[in-house]
Amino acid sequence: MAGKSKAEREALERQNAAITAVFERAGFDYIAPDIIQPADIFLERSGEDIRARTFVFTDPAGAEMCLRPDLTVPACRYHLSHAEKPDEEAKYCYLGSAFRFPNEHLSPQEFLQAGLEWFAAPDAAAAEARVLKLAISALEAAGLTKFRVTLGDLGLFSALLEDTPMPTRWRNRLKHHFWRPHAFRDVLESFTTNRSAKRTSISALIDRLAKDPVADVVAQEIESKNLPLVGGRSLEEVAARLADKSADRSEAALDQAKADAITGYLNIVERADNLEGVLNRTDCGRNFNEARKYFQKRLAEMEELGLNAKRFEFKATFGRELEYYTGFVFQIEVETADGFVAVAGGGRYDNLLTDMGSPVPVSAVGCAIHTERLKAVLA
Amino acid sequence: MKVLTLAIPSKGRLMQQASAVLETAGLSIARAGAERGYRGQLKGIDGIEVAFLSAAEIAQNLREGKLDFGITGADLLWEKSAAEENLVSVLAPLNFGFANVVVAVPECWLDVASMADLDEVSESFYARHGRRLRVATKYLNLTRRFFAEKGVTGYRIVESLGATEGAPAAGTAEVIVDITTTGSTLAANHLKVLDDGVILRSTAVLAASPAGLNDPRAALLQNSLKKPE
Repeated sequence: MAGKSKAEREALERQNAAITAVFERAGFDYIAPDIIQPADIFLERSGEDIRARTFVFTDPAGAEMCLRPDLTVPACRYHLSHAEKPDEEAKYCYLGSAFRFPNEHLSPQEFLQAGLEWFAAPDAAAAEARVLKLAISALEAAGLTKFRVTLGDLGLFSALLEDTPMPTRWRNRLKHHFWRPHAFRDVLESFTTNRSAKRTSISALIDRLAKDPVADVVAQEIESKNLPLVGGRSLEEVAARLADKSADRSEAALDQAKADAITGYLNIVERADNLEGVLNRTDCGRNFNEARKYFQKRLAEMEELGLNAKRFEFKATFGRELEYYTGFVFQIEVETADGFVAVAGGGRYDNLLTDMGSPVPVSAVGCAIHTERLKAVLA
Repeated sequence: MKVLTLAIPSKGRLMQQASAVLETAGLSIARAGAERGYRGQLKGIDGIEVAFLSAAEIAQNLREGKLDFGITGADLLWEKSAAEENLVSVLAPLNFGFANVVVAVPECWLDVASMADLDEVSESFYARHGRRLRVATKYLNLTRRFFAEKGVTGYRIVESLGATEGAPAAGTAEVIVDITTTGSTLAANHLKVLDDGVILRSTAVLAASPAGLNDPRAALLQNSLKKPE
């Protein structure tokens, strides 16, 4: 369909006015971030998978621009360019088009997103509960009555890794692979066996580090083969990673029981009110206990706001595919003849503003509603 | 009988080898008519017209169903159409145009042997330099698919339409995805192929769009051009 009819447009506008009214009543400033954005922020932040779906073009001066593929990053940019002190509390909401090349699921190439972003909220748990509450209130104001809520918490996962004894670089590698279940399993397995039986084209070079200092080995190799230094990495970076690889060989393997605890945690799919009992079975340390308490505190905040949070489903792996989230995540879905359709989602993303150039850390939590999908499931 | 179109590369070694393969199979091309040079008639199978196009255009036009058959490189074919889309089918691999599409990094990256290494480096590169690793290539789709399959996400593609192997030295990219036959161009530019960095082992292929595939002449072409066992 090339566009919406008068009646369709009016119906969508009515629905969306009800949504933004909820956000504005809660004290969020209704802003209009730019549609055309510098491409770098999206592309550097998201990687090639989003880049492939983003409308990128070049301006006459040669700068890469894009049509915004979502509104969170544009709202962050708005905040960084308008706020005198980025780490002072700010609450924004918006309604506007986002653009993506359709993927294999034939998603639309332009769609109206409504959402809110809350920067530097004073009470983290309360803000997270409040954002979920507002998302649900907005959906209900639009007429939605039946839906399911899925919760995730990357804080629990990070805490579990912190409590598991292993070299920091192994931990970082596991965190990095959280988004990719297959790679995660492979990496975890390589840590429990820690026998790099598989020789690679650089194994022989690493062998030499057992006898000689890494700097010498690297210098010799570069000189003897007369290799030009291209590719933007310094020899120190190369040497440091070689040294890590060499060190990996002599690390004690990760305890199998600990690895099983991580895998066991990632298998958790549980009603929120059963979670405490299930987590009790995870052999956990100080960080994990803190994170558990925080989860319970947030749950209590949700109850306080009148949400029936006990019935929400907790899924440990939820949050995959959403790379910029750092803690609490949620998704609201509606059952249709074709299965469950996600109409809203959100969570905490505390690193994004720093990544975008904020001189100070800014905590952030937000949500977005796919208004056309919502309209479709309400029809 | 509807006339079908078989496209073959319009110039260079690929054209010569494609013509030779057809010739050997007893299917010579009679060039004739006003469009002399760019159109011809296939002798040996009735109702097949020959068009001369660039290898890339052949892959694109097969994808769009504008051609029935074509001889082109597997690299170009799979760059234009993902196999799971089922938009094109390979009727027969041919005995020429051997080359690999590979991921190559600077040889001075002594710590990088595999795609997993590249993934790690891409993370630390971003943390240290504040920008993504750049991959120079003309194979945008093959690269995206392969990197996704290997779980490498922290990179950006820089489209390159020639002399891709020079990109790292020129400072316009750190990594390349390119086609190579002997590897000598890569070596001359001090680039090395990753252990698991072969994306595609390519040859010239006879391919068909669905319209071509469903015609009995597909089998005739296929049988004529199939490599002898």
